Amino acid sequence: MSLPSILLAFAPAAWTSPAPSTDFYAIRVGRAETVSKGTIEHAVILVEGGKIVTIGEDLPIERGIPIIDRPDWVVMPGLVNAYSRLGLDGDGGDEMNPDVHAFDELYPASEDYAEVVKFGVTTLGLYPAGNGIPGQAVVVRPTGNTPEEMRVHDPAYLKIIMRAASNSKKLLRDGFKKADEYDAKEKKAREKWDKDQEAKKKKAPAKKPDEKVEEKKVEEKKGEEKKEEAKDEPKTEKSDAKTEEATYTPSEPEPKTKPFVDLRSGKLRALVSISSAAEYLHLLDAIDKEKFTWDLRVPMTREIDLFYVTDKKTYDLDQDGIGDRHVRVVMEPLITLTPGTMRQRNLASELARAGAKIVFIPRNDTLLDHERWLTHTAEMVNAGLSRDIALRALTLEPAELLGVGERLGSLDKGKDANFVFLNGDPFEPTTRIQAVVLEGRVMFGEVGL
Amino acid sequence: MRRLFRFGGNLALIGLALLTTAELSNARAFQEGGEQGGGDAADKSGDAEGDKEDGPEHFFAVVGADVYTGTGAVLRGATVLSRNGKIKAIGYDLDLPPDTKTLDATGLRVYPGMVAISSRGLVGNATGDFEDTIDPFNSRMVLGLATGITTTGTGNAAVKLKRFSVKDAVVNDKIFSALAWSARNPPGKRTLREKFVTATEYLRKYRDWEQKVKKDKELKEPSKKGVDVTVLAVLKGEAKAKFNAGARDDLLGIARLAQEFGFRPVIEDCQEGWTIADELGRAGASVVLTPRARLPKREDLTRPGGSSIENAAILHKAGVPIAVVPATESVDLGGIVGRDIMALAIEAGFAVRGGLSEEAALASITIVPARILGISHRVGSLEVGKDCDLIVTDGDLLHYETFVQYAVVDGKQVYDKEQELFFAHIRPRAPNEAPEKKLDRGESEVKPAEAKPEETEVDGEKTEEKAEEKKVDEPEKDKKEEKKDGDSNDHDGGSDESGSDEGGADDGS
Repeated sequence: MSLPSILLAFAPAAWTSPAPSTDFYAIRVGRAETVSKGTIEHAVILVEGGKIVTIGEDLPIERGIPIIDRPDWVVMPGLVNAYSRLGLDGDGGDEMNPDVHAFDELYPASEDYAEVVKFGVTTLGLYPAGNGIPGQAVVVRPTGNTPEEMRVHDPAYLKIIMRAASNSKKLLRDGFKKADEYDAKEKKAREKWDKDQEAKKKKAPAKKPDEKVEEKKVEEKKGEEKKEEAKDEPKTEKSDAKTEEATYTPSEPEPKTKPFVDLRSGKLRALVSISSAAEYLHLLDAIDKEKFTWDLRVPMTREIDLFYVTDKKTYDLDQDGIGDRHVRVVMEPLITLTPGTMRQRNLASELARAGAKIVFIPRNDTLLDHERWLTHTAEMVNAGLSRDIALRALTLEPAELLGVGERLGSLDKGKDANFVFLNGDPFEPTTRIQAVVLEGRVMFGEVGL
Repeated sequence: MRRLFRFGGNLALIGLALLTTAELSNARAFQEGGEQGGGDAADKSGDAEGDKEDGPEHFFAVVGADVYTGTGAVLRGATVLSRNGKIKAIGYDLDLPPDTKTLDATGLRVYPGMVAISSRGLVGNATGDFEDTIDPFNSRMVLGLATGITTTGTGNAAVKLKRFSVKDAVVNDKIFSALAWSARNPPGKRTLREKFVTATEYLRKYRDWEQKVKKDKELKEPSKKGVDVTVLAVLKGEAKAKFNAGARDDLLGIARLAQEFGFRPVIEDCQEGWTIADELGRAGASVVLTPRARLPKREDLTRPGGSSIENAAILHKAGVPIAVVPATESVDLGGIVGRDIMALAIEAGFAVRGGLSEEAALASITIVPARILGISHRVGSLEVGKDCDLIVTDGDLLHYETFVQYAVVDGKQVYDKEQELFFAHIRPRAPNEAPEKKLDRGESEVKPAEAKPEETEVDGEKTEEKAEEKKVDEPEKDKKEEKKDGDSNDHDGGSDESGSDEGGADDGS
């Protein structure tokens, strides 16, 4: 590795800027939990413009670069809460509202955001309220003066609530039915368009080139009128005829249909909320042969029976289990009980073993539980959950669920400089958060820059 | 217990006739017959090779148990083989396909899964739309299976206790038209009668029109205006009229209404039914009763009245099909333990106490409720072609001491007493008595032998002795006799008991 040379290469940038700014600095800590590539002892990270420029073990740092030098600290990626309504207080509908965006609800002045950063949370996935199909979530950074400044990525996922009820299953099927109708309509329009194109090609060069010219002239004369027409009906023959190498542009689907069209095309993913094993099977029944990317949100209750559907084999299900499908499960770090008993279960561990991906969220969507988030996760690790999976469940996995896994969630070169500094191992009970950095900016704590 | 092998007299011959001698001499007694009315074609076809479905075949077999088929013979130490959830064969020395999942039930008994004619909560909390609401992981479903129930009427549907799956659980979802007839509500009685009159008139016109429209296509269909659809459904035979009545005069009224308008009512409760059993028999009524239900006699009347433990027996004698249901239809542990749905078999046992034959008592929780729910072509007895819904017990089903050890629904084991929390600790299966586990249920099982290594031997001996003692009751004697006499005796017990029920009712109406 030629990491030192990279460091040198970047060093001049620091020299050229006259005043030492926090735009470019180095971090030296005892240990870094990269999440993506395990732990790095005596880690050095170089940050520029809110991004991680490089990270490695014991890299030399040029003199003059501002440095956060804390050899007794541990650094990990900023926590990502993929499923929250922090700072939002809107109400939602009960039925089909897939066109609702949580982004529209954003209120940047909410004090919650400033507070939650102190607990290490640097990314939030905010979902719209309501039942049925309440709408689309947005990824935000918990800082900024306007909604646009907060926005990281939008939309993150379409939230769907699935209950063991006819209307709930019908809602999902209806959504895709609408997408079917749109597809059929589009197919027809496309066929018509293709036909017209072909007819024109035949017409134009062979038979009546004059006519075409005339047509054009007429069109030009029409001027504004024609433009309006084109706006109203973008697929009419005339507007197509206008451009020689016309490409077909599909019509925009209805706002309530679009999310389902996007689900199918892979532009959008779904987060389906279920609350029991039965609802998982009902979800599969409702999905049937429909293909789209979906993950699960399962609120942990004390006696949840989800262990029945972790995999197909254990209970000889007639469907694939959650683990077999390798979907993500958004859940609270909570020890559950086998129903009717005091027998404890580590459902996160069971699911992970079966092949599912775990995404942890705080036990409640309150500031207090955000503060205890690491402690609660530590309880799961203490009860047998793999440490790596637990770390991942707080950072990279939720980032990937939100569609920003390329951008944040781990300590990797090129990713956002979102850090949580701790005075020890993240899952030790005595460990406290010392500092939080969001996209390079120190949001909380004394780092001695 | 002798009654078991004596009942039915001449009907037993009919039952025997259905089992061809060829099959018997073959010592591969394929069982057929019994529930022929209402069944689909596959029921009779038995082991036809032509009915192959797409996809892989799943074979499941219960081996070595005494098979109480319900409508036919009792086959000692026989095997029940199912293919893709349907019973393929019942008999001896069956060739099991190589990948058959086998459940060794040697020394145990196999009964058809019980049919609870009505229950609440076993398939989830909802009261309708079961296809979309069923909760196959419900702990009450486990308790239902632990009771021995594999199918239940709930709301207006018949649903299977199909654990681990939400598909194909509903067997029938249009069963009853609930009607009311009470002496306390004379206007209600009058209105109901009027509804029947109007509906009958409409039906007559409609049938007439049906004939005439073939010639004259212009003819208008008679107006349905003012015709009660629920009553019409009853008259058309699309739904069964269900009444809830206990007092004699109400029962008489229902019986006469039924005879006048030509339908066969289902009557719930029916406490005073025993006083007019012949009337109910003539009316072709089916009765859903609770043997332990109590109704005080009206002291101002001299006629016999009030409830009787003999109710079921007397009604059965008059040809009325009896279905038994406990006092509370849910799983209820809040005060009336022993009278909730988990006491279904015990409740039928109380009917035996009142003089009902054990066969009729078994029928009252299997095939009779299946008939009332209109699903007897699928469940209610063990016959080739029917669904492989069965329970494996460690004794007489009607005995209070008996536990359901396994339950099977659609050819898949869905309950094992040792694997579920509820009863595993009570009289656990002794290690040497435990059937060999061939089912893949994971490796979580803790063997009692490992748990208490020192006591194992003593325990084993004790249990063995106890088992021996238990076995020395009538069926065991019969078994020994049969062994001497040969095969033919196996089927002495098998007669079409159900036939006598329906036959009686038919004669009456």
